[in-house]
Amino acid sequence: MPRWIPPLVAIIIGIALGLIYGWVISPVQFVDTTPNSLRADYRADYVLMVAETYHANQDAGLAARRLAIFGGDAPATISAQALQTGQASGYAPNDISMLQELTRAMQAYQPVPTAVESTP
Amino acid sequence: MKRFPWEWLIAIVVGFSLGLLYAWVISPVRYIDITPNTLRADFKDQFRIAIAASYASTHDLGRAKARLALLGDSDSNQALTAQSQRMLAAGESIDVVQQVAQLAANLLGGLAQIQPSAMATVSQKTAIPTAAATGSGTAAPTIPVESPTIESTPAIVFTPTPRPTHTPVPTPGAPYILIAQDTVCNSNLTDGLMQITVVDKHNHQIPGVEIIISWSGGEEHFFTGLKPEIANGYADYIMQAGISYTVRVAEAGTPAPNLTAPNCPDSGGQTYTGGLHLTFQQP
Repeated sequence: MPRWIPPLVAIIIGIALGLIYGWVISPVQFVDTTPNSLRADYRADYVLMVAETYHANQDAGLAARRLAIFGGDAPATISAQALQTGQASGYAPNDISMLQELTRAMQAYQPVPTAVESTP
Repeated sequence: MKRFPWEWLIAIVVGFSLGLLYAWVISPVRYIDITPNTLRADFKDQFRIAIAASYASTHDLGRAKARLALLGDSDSNQALTAQSQRMLAAGESIDVVQQVAQLAANLLGGLAQIQPSAMATVSQKTAIPTAAATGSGTAAPTIPVESPTIESTPAIVFTPTPRPTHTPVPTPGAPYILIAQDTVCNSNLTDGLMQITVVDKHNHQIPGVEIIISWSGGEEHFFTGLKPEIANGYADYIMQAGISYTVRVAEAGTPAPNLTAPNCPDSGGQTYTGGLHLTFQQP
């Protein structure tokens, strides 16, 4: 048997043990995750909460701020994605209606620019 | 004597290190379809705010409970109460604080806690909107949900979300009224201590409620729930002897006038300034 075979076998065994340890026994733990990692149906349900609130108070600014929890996407995009998920998931017609209402509002929503004092 | 196989040991250690490098750094386990219970604490707070705001709009306590269960709190009521107190201390909008506090209070008076099986149903099937809205108690349509990346995740058997029973509708506009006024003569307490307890119609204490106390030439505002170690609906104020106070709970509360610190006799025949305990209830 060639001399390089035993070390190679040992390294392969070591790699296998390392993978088992790293993937199975002690995998990387994610405990402080962010909402944009949420599964699509959970995201959609959060957006539905925002839609329910918007349906009652018609406060587009508040709804947009609450949707900003998902990070960089535009509020209209987040809402439209939730609407698609809701339709695919068989949400009740009333829920779909509220998501549609929110999506329309977010598409029309223009953030109020903050007043900036002009410098001389 | 046979030599110890150092080469084998070194090769295995090198291989193990390479394996760990790959498993932890190059290609770690990825969680892309996570559940809300793994969210960072501040994002969970945002979720609770959204749940409370939604509940304030829909008054659907069953749905609110199912959503709270997804956050994995051992006691949703306690989590909401603690959050409302943190929000109060941070000076956040009283409207939002009251929504959170109201949901906490209504949890105590509403349905039984969501059982783990129902919680799993919600998380696996997104049955919250459909089942809760229709209230039919029938199984929601099967939803094509992507499997989490962890293959070892146990399969969860779908069971229908139970139909909520009647949900008591909160009455945010009903004025609080004084239902009990007791003189407190306890020399161990601070002189002139006015203790206030605010409860809802089910006698559940409510945090985050504004108390307005006024007297000739002055007025002060404070909130219940800032001393949770005493009670969630508790607040207190130090009265000055000889001054007449008027207390009302929230702007629309019925005023309780002519409140003065009583004189209490001590064991030596002298008197000291006692306190009052007022209980307000929202009918």
